[in-house]
Amino acid sequence: MVKSKATLAIGIAAGALVLAACGGGSSDSGSSSPSASGSQGGEASSSSEASPSEAPAPSGDGQAGGTLTILSPAEQFLTLDPQVVYTGEDLGFLGATIMRSLTAYQVMPGDDEGTTLVPDMATDTGTVSNEGKTWQFTLRDGMKWEDGSPVTCEDVAYGTSRQFDVGLAEGGPVYAVTYLDIPVDEEGNSEYKGPTDGTGQELFDKAVSCDGNTITFNLNQPVPDFNYAVTLGFSAVPAGMATGPEYADKPMSNGPYKIQEYAKGKGGKLVLVRNENWSPDADPYRKAYPDSWVVNFGIEESVADQRVIQSSGEDEYAMVQGITTASLPIVFEDPVYEARRIDAYDPYTIYAAVNAQKVPDQKCRQAIGVALDREALRLNAGGDYAGDFADGAVKPNIGIDYAPTGLWDGLLGQPVPPTGDPEFAKKLLSEGKDCPTEITLDYAQSEDNDKAAAIWVESLARAGITVKPNPIERGQYYGVVFKDGNEVMLGGWGADWPNASTVLPPLFVQGWNLSQVDDKAFNEKVKAASVELDRNKQATMWQELSKEAAAQMWIVPTRFGKDQRLAGTKVGPIFSWAAYGSWPYPIMYAVQ
Amino acid sequence: MATSEAVEAPATEPPEGPEEIQGRSLSQIAWGRLKRDKTFIASCIVLLIIVLVAIFAPFITGLIGVDPYSLDKEAISSSGGKPNGPWGGASLDHPLGVEWGTGRDILARLLYGLRISLLIATTATFLVVILGTLFGVISGYVRGFTDAAIGRFMDLILAFPFLLIILALSGAMTQRLTDLGVPEGNASRITYLILVLGIFGWPYLARIVRGEVLSLREREFVESAIAMGASSTRIIFREILPNLWAPILVYATLLLPTYIAVEAALSFLGVGILPPEPSFGAMLSESVQFFQLVPSYLFIPGTVLVIVVVAFNLAGDSVRDALDPKAVK
Repeated sequence: MVKSKATLAIGIAAGALVLAACGGGSSDSGSSSPSASGSQGGEASSSSEASPSEAPAPSGDGQAGGTLTILSPAEQFLTLDPQVVYTGEDLGFLGATIMRSLTAYQVMPGDDEGTTLVPDMATDTGTVSNEGKTWQFTLRDGMKWEDGSPVTCEDVAYGTSRQFDVGLAEGGPVYAVTYLDIPVDEEGNSEYKGPTDGTGQELFDKAVSCDGNTITFNLNQPVPDFNYAVTLGFSAVPAGMATGPEYADKPMSNGPYKIQEYAKGKGGKLVLVRNENWSPDADPYRKAYPDSWVVNFGIEESVADQRVIQSSGEDEYAMVQGITTASLPIVFEDPVYEARRIDAYDPYTIYAAVNAQKVPDQKCRQAIGVALDREALRLNAGGDYAGDFADGAVKPNIGIDYAPTGLWDGLLGQPVPPTGDPEFAKKLLSEGKDCPTEITLDYAQSEDNDKAAAIWVESLARAGITVKPNPIERGQYYGVVFKDGNEVMLGGWGADWPNASTVLPPLFVQGWNLSQVDDKAFNEKVKAASVELDRNKQATMWQELSKEAAAQMWIVPTRFGKDQRLAGTKVGPIFSWAAYGSWPYPIMYAVQ
Repeated sequence: MATSEAVEAPATEPPEGPEEIQGRSLSQIAWGRLKRDKTFIASCIVLLIIVLVAIFAPFITGLIGVDPYSLDKEAISSSGGKPNGPWGGASLDHPLGVEWGTGRDILARLLYGLRISLLIATTATFLVVILGTLFGVISGYVRGFTDAAIGRFMDLILAFPFLLIILALSGAMTQRLTDLGVPEGNASRITYLILVLGIFGWPYLARIVRGEVLSLREREFVESAIAMGASSTRIIFREILPNLWAPILVYATLLLPTYIAVEAALSFLGVGILPPEPSFGAMLSESVQFFQLVPSYLFIPGTVLVIVVVAFNLAGDSVRDALDPKAVK
């Protein structure tokens, strides 16, 4: 998923979005493309370090009323379309306010608690049959749209079908397209073209059917964690409603709030007010404490930091979704802020993708990773605030799918210190076949990334590799590198849900494969692991694959990201929601 | 020179004996005035120092034991990358402190940044002088259709939204330059900046030159040269050009500091040079976010920039005053 905040990254005007699954570019590459972007610090998510403590005044329980305000450096939401939203922060916020899904994540501190699946629109977390190829969900009674009409099973099916509308859903999650049992043509495109076009509608209706309040999904393969996938892009949209691109600005709400005002640009804001047609009886998941939510756009990051630090007047109820590097010492060296700050691991792994097409030899790729001064990169990103050294694509807070790969502890033949080992790199270079001595480093331009590029230049020069930095404008970054990437590209990725099936396949098979890996044997093993129904066995398979990917050095994992954020004195509760690395939006309240 | 000094000397010192009458050229008069202008001398000394420091930057940094690229992890904190110590971690090792997050030496980066700024500004100014003089003289001397054509062409260039063009075309044009054989990376970026500054800058000078030429060619000495059958080449080079260098010099001394500032601004906007090379603009742009914690990041490059620009401007002013035939002094 992607993350949407600009956080540590310096001034991302456009708002870096990190997709939940797709993460961001190395330190902050915020791209405006939905997919991903920068990720310098992710949001705090999981985390054992997340402090579960509440804001000073708030007691344990939430209080109804008031207005909560988010100060955002972005000038708009990338999208409000429930089928397109893919940034972690936006999934968390919109899911809590206007956009319900079949299942959702429990809102609690802690890695495991915060990623536990709970029912939302459905009465339970789904029933699986047919060896994992059929999933059924039964909808709750009494759910209503903001215009008072009931939310039906057909609405969920219609929303799901919008994922097939390529023009509309571009940049959004594509799990419906990937998993639903709908034939594909020779080029691998689905025979179903979405509800607007209508071609192949009968195929979709066969794959997704409604029986009263029960929706059935027929899949093309066993998907043991399909009930997690339905949190992404399976949200309801009123059936038959003409929902073109304009729906991204005014979606119909079925959550506790509705949009009162949405003005983009600097000085613009999104105002959410209560949706009178929402009933708590039909929604035990959302607490909906505040009377309204306001997202202020285009607030310069350092200004936003200052306002929340001061926390005076209305800013008592304000929060930021990230803190600039320069504000970190202020916020974290003074105990005054202890109760309203967060320093926690987010879902993102920061890495540099090594282009397997341009550097086909494994030893050559390893040499690049071995020569790199990861310690300097981490310091540049904020040192201890930036996170820990990564040993692979899969991050420890994912749960059982993580096991140390030993990448830097001997997996390559000898241990590699965080500062890099130029001698070992030279040895690998001499063993490799046709290793390039001059490589180009693509990155999304920002001041932090310019310095990261300088570190690449310096540290690889020690091993005799010349690095040419190639800064690319942030908003275009992923578009450019997916089309025309050079030898090394900075990036970041976070799991969509706690299963490495949302990390290893997208990164090394298809989806977010910056490294352009095409390894048949690896693909087969990934496929086998994806359909494994025994969760523990699957975890072991992922661990092995993670290790193999690490040794291949298709990516140089540099950091398991961490994220910092701060809220005003009258905001609660203060902890990082592990599912999205975001604020715990569904249960937040304003102290009265 | 001694003679001209005497002539120019204040009246309190009566001339001894019969005054020797001696013709002096405009440049001699100007030089005499400049030598007595304290502002000019002072700003020239400052400029000389700055230019020398820029030229010998690698030698100086080597002498102090700093360099602009190497990372110093000891100098920054492991939590947050903040420099250890006040004033950006200023110490004996790093006299002006180190950069946040990497520990690179600020002094060394400043000196290297100065080099690149001066390189770009002087080369671009030189280009403007060449192009502006060339087209200005042609336009003013030939007149007629050529003058009109050049005039409209200059109008066209002046009407271009110069800054937008620089930003919009930087990627495509540096690529084009690379295709043409300019080395990739900073070489092509610097070439691009110089070309753009030069190409969009010359019409201003050309207009000034054209005006001068138009009036010069009506003067008696030019007419007599024409009457004597001198060729156009001779008239332009021997009669007209020597009279033009005053306005050109003045314009150039005023343009150069502008270009230093423009280069910094462009780096600030992200079309400057590539890392890890330092530049003024990049240093200033980065300083903004750390201003509260490490104000010296802003003040150090800012002060140097101000000194350079003010010194050039003062020197330019003095030259203009000295060359002004109507000046009282």
